[in-house]
Amino acid sequence: MRYLTRRVLNAMLLLAAISAFSFALLQSAPGNFFDAMRLNPRVSAQTVDGLRSKYGMNQPFPVRYGHWAFSVLKGDMGFSFSYNSPVGPLLWARARNTLLLTSIATLLAWLLAIPLGIWSAANKGRWGDRACGFSTSALLTIPDLLVFLILLLLAVRTGWFPTGGMISTGFDNFSFWSKCKDVAVHFALPAVGLAVVTWPVLVRHIRSAMVEALESPFIRAARGHGIPRTRLLFRYALPAASNPLISLLGFSVATMLSASVIVEVIMSWPGLGPLMVQAILSRDVYVVVAVVMLSSVFLVAGNLLADVLLFVSDPRIRVE
Amino acid sequence: MSGFRKEPLVCIRGLSKQYVQRRPLTSAKFTIRAVENVDLTIQRGGTLALVGESGAGKSTVVRCLSLIERPTAGEIWFDGVDVLKLRGKKLLPLRRQIQIIFQDPTSALNPGMTAGEIIAEPLVIQGEGTKSERRHRALELMEQTGLPAKWESKLPLEFSGGQRQRLAIARALALQPRLLILDEALSGLDLANQEMILRLLADLQAMHSLTYVHVSHDLRMVSDLADEVAVMYEGRVVEQKRTAELFAHPEHPYTQDLLDAMPSLESICEERSA
Amino acid sequence: MKNRHKLWGALILLAGLHGLVLFAGFFAPYGSAAQERELPFAPPTRIHFVDARGKFHARPFVYGLKDDPQAIGSFAVDATRIYPVHFFVQGSSYKIAGVFPSHVHLFGATAPGRIFLLGSDEYGRDQFTRFLYGGQVSLAAGLIAAALSVLLGVIVGALAGFYGGWIDEVLMRGGELFLALPWLYLLFAVRAALPLHVAQWQVFLLLIAVIGLVGWARPARLIRGVVLSAKERNFVVAARAFGASDAYLLRRHVLPQTYGVILTQMALLVPQYVLAEVTLTFLGLGVGEPMPSWGSLLASLQQYYVLSSYWWMFLPAALLIPVFLAYYMAADALQERLKTVPL
Repeated sequence: MRYLTRRVLNAMLLLAAISAFSFALLQSAPGNFFDAMRLNPRVSAQTVDGLRSKYGMNQPFPVRYGHWAFSVLKGDMGFSFSYNSPVGPLLWARARNTLLLTSIATLLAWLLAIPLGIWSAANKGRWGDRACGFSTSALLTIPDLLVFLILLLLAVRTGWFPTGGMISTGFDNFSFWSKCKDVAVHFALPAVGLAVVTWPVLVRHIRSAMVEALESPFIRAARGHGIPRTRLLFRYALPAASNPLISLLGFSVATMLSASVIVEVIMSWPGLGPLMVQAILSRDVYVVVAVVMLSSVFLVAGNLLADVLLFVSDPRIRVE
Repeated sequence: MSGFRKEPLVCIRGLSKQYVQRRPLTSAKFTIRAVENVDLTIQRGGTLALVGESGAGKSTVVRCLSLIERPTAGEIWFDGVDVLKLRGKKLLPLRRQIQIIFQDPTSALNPGMTAGEIIAEPLVIQGEGTKSERRHRALELMEQTGLPAKWESKLPLEFSGGQRQRLAIARALALQPRLLILDEALSGLDLANQEMILRLLADLQAMHSLTYVHVSHDLRMVSDLADEVAVMYEGRVVEQKRTAELFAHPEHPYTQDLLDAMPSLESICEERSA
Repeated sequence: MKNRHKLWGALILLAGLHGLVLFAGFFAPYGSAAQERELPFAPPTRIHFVDARGKFHARPFVYGLKDDPQAIGSFAVDATRIYPVHFFVQGSSYKIAGVFPSHVHLFGATAPGRIFLLGSDEYGRDQFTRFLYGGQVSLAAGLIAAALSVLLGVIVGALAGFYGGWIDEVLMRGGELFLALPWLYLLFAVRAALPLHVAQWQVFLLLIAVIGLVGWARPARLIRGVVLSAKERNFVVAARAFGASDAYLLRRHVLPQTYGVILTQMALLVPQYVLAEVTLTFLGLGVGEPMPSWGSLLASLQQYYVLSSYWWMFLPAALLIPVFLAYYMAADALQERLKTVPL
């Protein structure tokens, strides 16, 4: 239990540090930002002044940070100037979409990677393993950008998949199943792209974790006892390898989140990625900071989840 | 080896070393008492053997003596100088006088440096001599330790185990030390090499009037070469006597255990013929 | 494939690619800004030796282009106009290594013929030329940013590993912070804090600084590990026993142990950072026109009509593959070597 509380505390500390960092980022831009805002005809001078006093621009740093942190915790994350709405509601819909996409892509990638990694490790050195190693290395040399662009090309040329967005026109009138199908058809290509991009690294790590487990003395002893191969693989080696694999899960959340930005922009999936890019281009600072914080929260949450899973699955950690 | 008693070279009083480990992010600490209240005297020109089982604290004592670590309490007097009171630059001249040879010669030599560079390194660190003077000295030392001078530019991996230990000894002699500590220096070698190194050490001791401290758990070897033996058990010195006396009249029960466990030559021969 | 061959193969490939890019002025037939408004989105030019009448030419040639009557907006080959290709031609001026002026290009077609090895973009600019010049920007960005990350990583890792204690705690916590942030978002965030409209070269430098500063945590961790194990090695202890100072120990014994890790990290980070710059520029957040970058070469692909009709615009992305391949091969080979070094 102490392990868990330590990890949770760690996570909180990390989030606090990230929020401080984000806030500092916020502060580094505002001078010219608010002046630029005054020039913007869409925003009234009162709004700007109201915001300035609300966020206490004239007070010392810790006070401003405190104010801001409080508002964020209450759910008020600032105001988006380009969308002319508070940031909160803007964020949630997008965040949900990104989560949907990345979870499906993660599932896909792992579903593909685990069998292949295990099979590769079990057949280490033979041609199957080598072919697998070769193809993962080959895939790694293809830049993410290219993969996504090719998938987009596929959509444009064949018309089998929509070329962007999350829903088709007339979505609200669809039945439940049609709605599901519609969304599915839309996230098919982005999810596949994300999976393809993250899959090679996963396979490599899974393979090496399994190889290490298979070559450990206790497995060799078990083999000497005549335990059949498949049972050995799944009931002995896999649990032993699960510790590094669960850590890998936590780590892969980061790469997945980063890659999702690119795919969302290219395939116009309405997630946090395009929101972020637009916000930067239009100098919508509160949105930028909110997105950074949110994505960090996802990452920290993902790692914490991995820690919990580790605690539950690995008895060595419980004893400690 | 030394016939009469002079002022001892080294006097250790009440040496203690504790390691405190803290678990990260908690306040739980646990202390390991490696060495507790150790007294030792080492006579000039003699050889002291420090024996005991693994974990008895022998290595910790010699690491403190060779100034690699600082003890938590106690005094170390070297030739009348209170060593632990010295800091920084003042410690430098003392470092020349006490040298240590480790058990594993391979790890004690930087694999990327040539033999000549390794031997000359102490001179470089202490800023002695010009480049050619240092080289000259290195070659001299190689000769003394039985290594051919033409191996000067070879890397450690080209040497055998016994030769690497010679290299380590040559390096240790570079600064003309008075005290040489051998921390299980022979344990990693085969018997033939052990013999050769022991003979080399004996020659060097005579040549340079060295004082030795042998840390070992091999009592038979100890009985051959040591003038005095100090027995350590669980961080304390339980007995320190002249060799012959210790073997004949052991006082502490642990010493007796050690001696009993040591197979005598007769018993080995008996086993073999049986 | 034997490791030594792999390493040499990778190094030769890298030298070739970088050499090509470094001497872009010589290898490219046109200047980096040269436009040909009459020939937007021209397909890659084929080189011929035999003309339409079956006559063999010793000197290769290209055909002129005319509007295709069947497909509006595309070009068809005009077999009546033949433009021979010459080598070591005089062309637009450029500076070798930014210092020595020169006019000589490796090859070129006699005017008004155009030789577009990789096709042309919407302004009629030769993609091959832009690829080479863009490579200067993108590769330089990747290399400098990687060097920055590794340098920071070495400093932090060496300090944390060597001195331990609270320095180690603080530095590694900081590293954890940086690792906890999804790097692309972090990159964007820092980019957002920078003003959008600054001089081109300033954007370039800022971009490099940002990319490099974000990624120091992983190299630092690795270096710290090496330093931790190195400082316990007996030869370091022995040197300390001779009275060596910390600086001497670091310089002579500890840091040399890290060279292998440093090289491997560089080989792994450069392609990642090149991709980071390309991605940023692709999204419009990096260097802008007219400074060429591989990212801006690909940016037009965001439009559907370009994506589906003009396949040659993909070629710069495809050409990234050999760059990545070379660096990953080098990293692989280096890692293998590290394992066999006697420790």
